[in-house]
Amino acid sequence: MLICLTKYNEMKKEYLGEFEELILTMVGVLREEAYGAMIAQEIETRQKREVNLSAVHVTLYRLEDKGLIKSSYGGSTSERGGRRKRLYIVTSAGFAILGAMKAARMDLWKLLPELKTFGA
Amino acid sequence: MNNNGIPKWANKFLSTICPDHLIEEIEGDLIQKFNRDIKNFGEKRAKRRLLWNIIRFFRPGIIFRNRFSVDLNQGYMLTNYFKVAARVMLRNKAYAVINIAGLALGITSAILLFLWIAKEFNYEQFHVDKDRIYEAWNRELANGEINCWSTTPRILAPTLVEEYPAVESAISYGAYHSSHLFTAGKTQLIKTSGVFTDASFLTMFSFPLLKGNPSTALGNPNSIVITESFAKQLFGDKEPFGADVTIGESGYTFPFTVTGILKDLPSTTEFHFDYLVSWQFLESLGEKDTYWGNNSVLTFVKLREGEDVNQFTEIVKDIAKKHSKEESSVEVFLYPLTKLRLYSKFENGVQAGGRIENIRMIGILGICLIAIACINFINLSTARAQKRAKEVGVRKVTGAHRHSLIIQFLCESVLLALGAGIISIVIVFLSLPSFSMLVQQSLSLDFQSITFWSIAIAFIVFIGVLAGSYPAFYLSSFHPVRILKGAPITSAHRGRLRQLLVVLQFGFAVTMILSVIVIGKQIRYAQHREAGYAKDHLIYQPMTGDLEKNYQAYKNELLSSGVATSVTKTSAPITERWSNTNEISWNGKDPLDKILIERFNVDEDISTTAGLTILEGRDMDLQHYPSDSTAVLLNETAAKLMGFKHPVGEIILDNEIEWHVIGVIKDFVLTSPYQKIEPLVILGGKKEMFGTIHIRLNPNRLVPPTMEAISELYSKYNPDYPFEYHFVDEEYQRKFSSLKATLTITTLFGSIAIFIACLGLLGLSTFMIESRVKEIGIRKVMGGSVINIIKLLSIDSLKPILVAIIIFTPLAWLAMSWFLQTFDYRIALNIWVFLLAGLSIITIGLLTIGLQTFGAANGNPAKNLRAE
Repeated sequence: MLICLTKYNEMKKEYLGEFEELILTMVGVLREEAYGAMIAQEIETRQKREVNLSAVHVTLYRLEDKGLIKSSYGGSTSERGGRRKRLYIVTSAGFAILGAMKAARMDLWKLLPELKTFGA
Repeated sequence: MNNNGIPKWANKFLSTICPDHLIEEIEGDLIQKFNRDIKNFGEKRAKRRLLWNIIRFFRPGIIFRNRFSVDLNQGYMLTNYFKVAARVMLRNKAYAVINIAGLALGITSAILLFLWIAKEFNYEQFHVDKDRIYEAWNRELANGEINCWSTTPRILAPTLVEEYPAVESAISYGAYHSSHLFTAGKTQLIKTSGVFTDASFLTMFSFPLLKGNPSTALGNPNSIVITESFAKQLFGDKEPFGADVTIGESGYTFPFTVTGILKDLPSTTEFHFDYLVSWQFLESLGEKDTYWGNNSVLTFVKLREGEDVNQFTEIVKDIAKKHSKEESSVEVFLYPLTKLRLYSKFENGVQAGGRIENIRMIGILGICLIAIACINFINLSTARAQKRAKEVGVRKVTGAHRHSLIIQFLCESVLLALGAGIISIVIVFLSLPSFSMLVQQSLSLDFQSITFWSIAIAFIVFIGVLAGSYPAFYLSSFHPVRILKGAPITSAHRGRLRQLLVVLQFGFAVTMILSVIVIGKQIRYAQHREAGYAKDHLIYQPMTGDLEKNYQAYKNELLSSGVATSVTKTSAPITERWSNTNEISWNGKDPLDKILIERFNVDEDISTTAGLTILEGRDMDLQHYPSDSTAVLLNETAAKLMGFKHPVGEIILDNEIEWHVIGVIKDFVLTSPYQKIEPLVILGGKKEMFGTIHIRLNPNRLVPPTMEAISELYSKYNPDYPFEYHFVDEEYQRKFSSLKATLTITTLFGSIAIFIACLGLLGLSTFMIESRVKEIGIRKVMGGSVINIIKLLSIDSLKPILVAIIIFTPLAWLAMSWFLQTFDYRIALNIWVFLLAGLSIITIGLLTIGLQTFGAANGNPAKNLRAE
């Protein structure tokens, strides 16, 4: 009988860092194909940004702890040396926080008229 | 490539740092990335990136995702182990009692002995500068051997301070034990525990002053420093510091002022005094003692920091030769203060043992006692292995690992040891006062200190593991299938091991019995030695106060009233060494001969007072021969040493006085009854040499009224001093006290050892009889007699004892002859001693197993066989 002493499933105050938000968005974007290596690869190709695999993994675990994404085992390919993927999908809580963050940002955007004119 | 490109070590690294439930996808992602990198960057770079990526997984986000958990299984099982252990003990109460009692006795003895040892090693450790303090010793080549002694001339310390810059301070320490009468207000006290020393004594050693300045307290000739408890005796509740006190000695009184109150001396020091007086006081009365040949004080030296003692010894060793007016071959060397207590015995100039030898013996004794107790446990557990075998089998079948079984059995033994430990701590607590008295050491246990408890618990757990480890390994090794099928445990060589352990136990027991017999015989032998004088009806008194002045009147009245038959003034009690010298010369003496001769001074009539036998010539008799104040009596040994054919009329030279020999007396025991008689000269002397009065009581009168009469006369002639007297025969018996203490200690721990060993024997024989009960039944049914069965059962148990006697007797013989070698006057070891020791141990063994053997042999066979 094992008793777990560490508790990760505690809900903390809702706040996402920039990298967390990026990963969460990526999971949403990649839909059925969201797993560590794929996410890292997509960030590299789309955002032209070098990310470390371990950073992606750690962030994914953290997001899962917060209940924003959930995971299940996927298939294995020879490319992965026979190891299964862990596939992530965004939970409704995840979508909610993405939406909330976007709305909050949009509110702020509206308060930046100069930027609008400047950009125009 | 292995593991799809991940090197083996990296794989291992990953699986160590990553949680088990994540490792698969992490590896998969790493491999996938690696394969992509090969396409993009080529294999070499890809590999580097892979390793880097792997190493990057060593981060808190991953590592702390591991589930840190305690396996509560362990906890449950531990409780279970203790529960089972308790049940096993309850089921076999006799074995539990034997085991716990044996262990408790062993642990108690070990704790007591180790406390004693710890105390011995603590001596003089409290001095702050202990590493820089040394005692100055003398050594001299005499008769082909280097003699070392610790008394030094008074002039040594001042000379060291003056002439050697490496010396920070040096002091003379003179403990003369002369009687001083203290008067403070109305209180009068007599003390002999004073010490003359130099002012820097208080700064050299760390004896803290409660009041007063250590650097100036002894700076005045009339200042005195006293201890707290002496101050209390002398002044009661009045303020002692700065108070006035007078000291009376031999009719004179001197005023002193208390300039320091010392905290009472700790028990871990060899310095014993109640008050300190400065040398300046003595030297203000008369001349300074600058004679390099008068070794009457101890000298302590504190070197400056950073000075090398060996270098300094090289420089200082010729100090006596340089300063002495006469020719001197005495060398000075320094010996560390911290080693004085345990290591200050020298043989031919080389450090050779000392008290440390006793301490080592005590340590060995403690270890042996623990070993004997542990052996009991080992023997009983392995002997009873069959009983536990089924349990082990079932546990193994249901999935117990061997290591968990080992832990189980260790738990049992630790539990047992803890029980024994608690009992023994209680016994130690109760017996410590009497044990302290026995070993004449104030031992104490600090029950509030964490150190004590942690050491005690660690020690007890250690004992538990020590006793339990072999049985644990043995019991856990059983093959479950064979056991559960009901096959017996084959234990031929285990049986032999048990017997070997019993041999060890009883070997130790035999050695102890033998030591007790030999030491006891040696004491009795020395007690029955002809002392050479009549010890009974003889008392002595110190010459205090007015006695010196009134001596003649006191003597006359003692004789005329008929309480005494003879009275003599002497330099010291006849039971004590007073003074010795190697400077006596006589006609025909080899000038290189430096043999020590004892000196003793008397006025007259020593042969009638002490009951000495005159072999030749006559006793001192001042009335008829007034010149007898320069007469000398030789003892036989001295007469032989000097080689006089007709000693009477010869002249010997001592202290530049010509002494004429008037007689030879029969040898008598002056110092140690164990050693050979030293050459002795009994000199006449001047008035001030006599510090003791010997009185031969009238043997025809009862002692109590006689003493009363003497007491009355005493208070008449010496009103200031309390009546003090010592019976010579009692004082003589004190010479045996240290060996008697050794005997008591040996007897005590020997009995404990034998008792523990017998407990074990009892347990083993009980077990053996239990397992052979059917055999006994069948034997009886077939017509075996009770005697035969008893013989059969006893021989098995007694065999190891016999082997122990055969093996250990020669060893004990060697040890005992080595021990006896320290005595000149000693018993001869003969075979009877060993037979006696062997017989007694066999008897003890027989008595131990007798009752059970008899019961088993007498039992009704039908009862024992019915169960089949």
